Amino acid sequence: MSAAYDPIALGIQWDRLIAIADEIINALVRTSFSTNVRESYDLSCVVFDRKGRSIAQGAYSVPSFTGTAPATLACMLAKFPAETLQPGDVVATNDPWMGTGHLFDVNVMQPVFRRGALVGYTMSITHLPDIGGAGFSATAREVYEEGLRLPIIKLARAGVVDEAWIELVRINVRVPEQTIGDLMANVSCTTVGARMLVEFMDEYGIDDLTPLADAILGHSERAIRDELRRIPAGIYDNAIDIEGHADPLRLACRITIADGEAHADFAGSSLAVPAAINVPLCYTRAMTCHAIKCLTTPKIPNNEGSVRPITAVAPAGSILNPQPPSPTGGRHIVGHFVNPLVYGALARALPDRVQGDSGMLNLINVQGRTREGVGVSSIFFTSGGFGALRGIDGQATTPAPSNMTGTPIEVWENLTGMFVESKELLPDSGGPGEFRGGLGQRIALINDSGQPMTVSCLAGRTEFAPAGVLGGRPGGMRKIAINGSPVHPKGRYVLQPGDRIDTIEAGGGGYGDPRQRKREAVEADLRQGFVTPDAARRDYGYRG
Amino acid sequence: MTRAQRYRIGVDIGGTFTDFALFDDATGDITTHKLLTTPGDPSTAVIAGVSAVTAEAGIAIADVATIVHGTTLVTNAVIERRGAPTAMLVTKGFRDTLDIGMERRYDLFDLRIRFPEPLVPRHLRFEVPERVKYDGSVKAAPSFDQLRMPLAEAIARDRIAAVAVCFLHSYLDPSHERAAVAWLTREFPQLKVSASSEVFPFMREFERWTTTCMNAYVQPVVDRYVARLEDGLAALGFKGSFLIMTSSGGTFTGGLARRFPVRLLESGPAAGALMSARHGRTLGVDQVLSFDMGGTTAKGCIVHDGTPLKRYELEVARVHEFKRGSGLPVKIPVLDMIEIGAGGGSLADVDERGVLRVGPRSAGANPGPACYGQGGTQATLTDANLVLGYLDSGSFLGGRMALDAEAARRAIESGVGKALGVSVERAAWGIHEVINEDVARAFRVHASERGVDYRRCSMIAFGGSGPLHAARVARKLKIPRVVCPTGAGVMSAFGLLSSPVGFELVRSRRVSLARLDAQQILREFTGLAAEADRFLAEAGVKAVDVAHRHRLDMRYEGQGYEVEVPVVGPLDATIRERLPHAFAQAYAKVFGLAFDDKPVEIVNWKVDASGPEPGARHDHRLKAGPPSASSRKGTRRAYFPERDGPVDCPVLDRYALEPGATVAGPALVEERESTTVVDPGDTMRVDAHLNLILELGAAS
Repeated sequence: MSAAYDPIALGIQWDRLIAIADEIINALVRTSFSTNVRESYDLSCVVFDRKGRSIAQGAYSVPSFTGTAPATLACMLAKFPAETLQPGDVVATNDPWMGTGHLFDVNVMQPVFRRGALVGYTMSITHLPDIGGAGFSATAREVYEEGLRLPIIKLARAGVVDEAWIELVRINVRVPEQTIGDLMANVSCTTVGARMLVEFMDEYGIDDLTPLADAILGHSERAIRDELRRIPAGIYDNAIDIEGHADPLRLACRITIADGEAHADFAGSSLAVPAAINVPLCYTRAMTCHAIKCLTTPKIPNNEGSVRPITAVAPAGSILNPQPPSPTGGRHIVGHFVNPLVYGALARALPDRVQGDSGMLNLINVQGRTREGVGVSSIFFTSGGFGALRGIDGQATTPAPSNMTGTPIEVWENLTGMFVESKELLPDSGGPGEFRGGLGQRIALINDSGQPMTVSCLAGRTEFAPAGVLGGRPGGMRKIAINGSPVHPKGRYVLQPGDRIDTIEAGGGGYGDPRQRKREAVEADLRQGFVTPDAARRDYGYRG
Repeated sequence: MTRAQRYRIGVDIGGTFTDFALFDDATGDITTHKLLTTPGDPSTAVIAGVSAVTAEAGIAIADVATIVHGTTLVTNAVIERRGAPTAMLVTKGFRDTLDIGMERRYDLFDLRIRFPEPLVPRHLRFEVPERVKYDGSVKAAPSFDQLRMPLAEAIARDRIAAVAVCFLHSYLDPSHERAAVAWLTREFPQLKVSASSEVFPFMREFERWTTTCMNAYVQPVVDRYVARLEDGLAALGFKGSFLIMTSSGGTFTGGLARRFPVRLLESGPAAGALMSARHGRTLGVDQVLSFDMGGTTAKGCIVHDGTPLKRYELEVARVHEFKRGSGLPVKIPVLDMIEIGAGGGSLADVDERGVLRVGPRSAGANPGPACYGQGGTQATLTDANLVLGYLDSGSFLGGRMALDAEAARRAIESGVGKALGVSVERAAWGIHEVINEDVARAFRVHASERGVDYRRCSMIAFGGSGPLHAARVARKLKIPRVVCPTGAGVMSAFGLLSSPVGFELVRSRRVSLARLDAQQILREFTGLAAEADRFLAEAGVKAVDVAHRHRLDMRYEGQGYEVEVPVVGPLDATIRERLPHAFAQAYAKVFGLAFDDKPVEIVNWKVDASGPEPGARHDHRLKAGPPSASSRKGTRRAYFPERDGPVDCPVLDRYALEPGATVAGPALVEERESTTVVDPGDTMRVDAHLNLILELGAAS
């Protein structure tokens, strides 16, 4: 079917659609009020065709969101069928099971009309600064404690915003100005996207995006199927232990590769827990697609075609497919382990592609007031080390598998009145290997606001270190302490004035046997202080 | 007019040639000269050329008032890592900020992304116990003496020649950094020292410190370069002022260049944008889209009311597939140019998706396009333009280089045509058109981010490939008119010579508008202006000649991105009442709407101080060459999609075209470095300054 599309026009128009998605992100970031969006790019923007198929996404966005967006749109259209939509309608939800897996992300969609006909949809998703309830933490036992849950709603009808919904959100959140500001930034950026999509169709005289979408999805699907066929057909199993809220959890997967398709079954994983780290299936599926795409076709732009040959299932009620009212606020803490779980399963089949485990993100969520009395609800994004790959040492302090941006110290102190005493690399935290894992870091934050602040971390890697791959060794573990005493990494605490929280962010896992590491590489690490002399001797057999 | 004020020389150092243009402000005559660039030490060609061009004009070097030049020295030193071993003094606890970086991946799916190594390696960063807090209060005073020994050792061991001083919140209170500079100057007078509060006092430590380290890193290189030029020119008898173009389009004296060399990044391309600005003014066009396309990249810049737009960030030395995010982020005032990986050498192939891709990879000068016959086998844009008939095998670069059309066809056939199942001509047109689309898309995004309606612009196109693609790009943007100025090398010198000595200061100081009165605003601006004026005074500009432009970066409280608000009207007690409206206007211009109820804050304060516009006249002309018998060189088959294939098309000699001449497309106008393509339905005329003006017909 895609053969019918002019091959030269296809490339040009495809890139143009991606540019439109990027433009939507620009508009979103520039009008947003919260650090989550503007500094950390905790967002995504997607363009869909008339049939609800995702055809382009912005380059700077969180991978999980683009994986969930098509399913979210399908839920929205089930409630508000396409034929009932009018220009200027805005549909939104933050339901964990229909959206991105937790209440914090709002999904905002607008239908796009051209000459009176529905031609496509634009959607943007952002992590709101607050949604009420327990705050951004893993402590809730049921979803009801986690905050305001919006079903699929019409936020605006024919261009008129329904103020009742705005009021409802305003009264339920701690920082209403920022939250409403961000909500409306989503509305205006999807409007911008709709306008650009129409201009694009006008320019090329396209009345129906379907043939173009067919061609884009067809090319993408063919590319990933070709790559999947290069993996020897077979069944690939893996299981890893990770920390849970109370007891360790087991994540298991069986990946079946056959006929250019990949099917992941997460049977054997632990049951859902009464803590907000359960991963709705939409998120599990999104991370599975992301992991397999990283290993096979990283350069194919993300769209529905590029994930079509990938399927994922998990038993209902398991931690990777929990049912309401299981709480899900910190679903990424467990969900991000889907990537290393999949990489581990495929390590022997794809030794050139797989990566040692990464140290992953830590999200330090802080609520309180500044010395000047301004309300604060902000997240300090920070990252552990990136896992090593064949030929490449892991980059220090680089997020994986999700993407964020670290918060600058000067910005954070201005915003919260907290004092950052230090933020430095942790030598020897990178997992030894022929290629070394990326270093983690050590951060010290002090409550200097003169009043109590609530702090909750959302992180893993405190009981099970990031594993190495193909002979590589594990990276250093994460540790969190308040006033010198270790605390649970998913807890919620009050910092009194002058109290301090110290975190150690995990290092990345190594790749290959450390004894095979080149002598010059070990010496360069010693000179820079990334590896200490003791560790060089112990891990690399370096004798000076 | 005394002889000593009469002559000015512009020097444009390009990748291949260094162009010299001597302007006589009394007669309006221009004398030009061209030399091969001396990449090892660019000053060699500069000195030789200045000598040659003055001899050619029959004047003494002592009569030249000003020599201005643009240089890629700083950019190249960073890309090739040829700067000096540099150390860093940094706030205790933050030695690793340069390694920690942005904590962001610039690609969601590519696990093999790379990041640039910091310019200062970790073992050359020294921590200083000191701390200024976010509100400007001092938590700990600095002490330095414990650094004497380790620093002395590092100087001996690592041959450190420069130091960057980088403390947290120094944009608010520079006193600790100043103390460090004083201590370093006393203890180690041989070192070049750069302080972050002086280089660019902007909030966000990673970017500010990276900028400061880069300044320190290139300081010794620039110092030597400027010294060689100044000494060399003095030895020839030059007594005037020697100026260097900055990235923001002003000029620096040698002294300022030595102190703030990071501000010379992109100094070469800035001249092109300034030339477009100058043309815009001459032609009476208030919005210009400057389009410069050469061998590896295309550059664009929007000129509004005669002034190119500015911005304050730049990414240098990208290390992974030219991707945004894979370079070093720098904060300096720069002309707001976009760079697109599209030029004559852009390589064409079929990408992972199975669709045609052109650029950003380039065949460069070596091996170059397949048609150069230097061993290149991959198809490039130049190969496509040759196959399409826009370029000629015999007249490329004025006939100095014969092009191999068969090699071009073979490369396109094997690399693109077969894979896509299309003919060689169709594939060549695809390559040409993909580039047009890439450039148009980049301009569209660039313009809309700045709230500029590009459809109202005129395009000024230059560079080796600019006039060849200009009409098609303009048509995609619904721009009605394209100007291809005469003699690009000379015109760049035009840009250099029309720009005043200037220095811009930007300081972060976040204050809620509600907490400010007019006096406080005026005090802040006056302080900044006084500081900038000091730099200009050092450069020899008289206080009475200095003009100031004031701008503020403002936003709604809680927002992360600011909107630049020009402060127009008098700097007096009414300024406080005028600001909210000025902000709302600027905000609505970018975002389409403004809120009246949200509190507003000021984030950055900017004062741009500049000296008088140089030169007495702007109507200079090249001395007329010998008249030529006919402007018609012949005809050639060239491909135009609206004619469904190649048609016979007249080829004109640009140097023989007289003012007032008009031509209806299709036509090709050849000059030494470029060819202007006039599409079917468009008309071209030659104006009094010998510029080619294309009026685009209805979309074809």
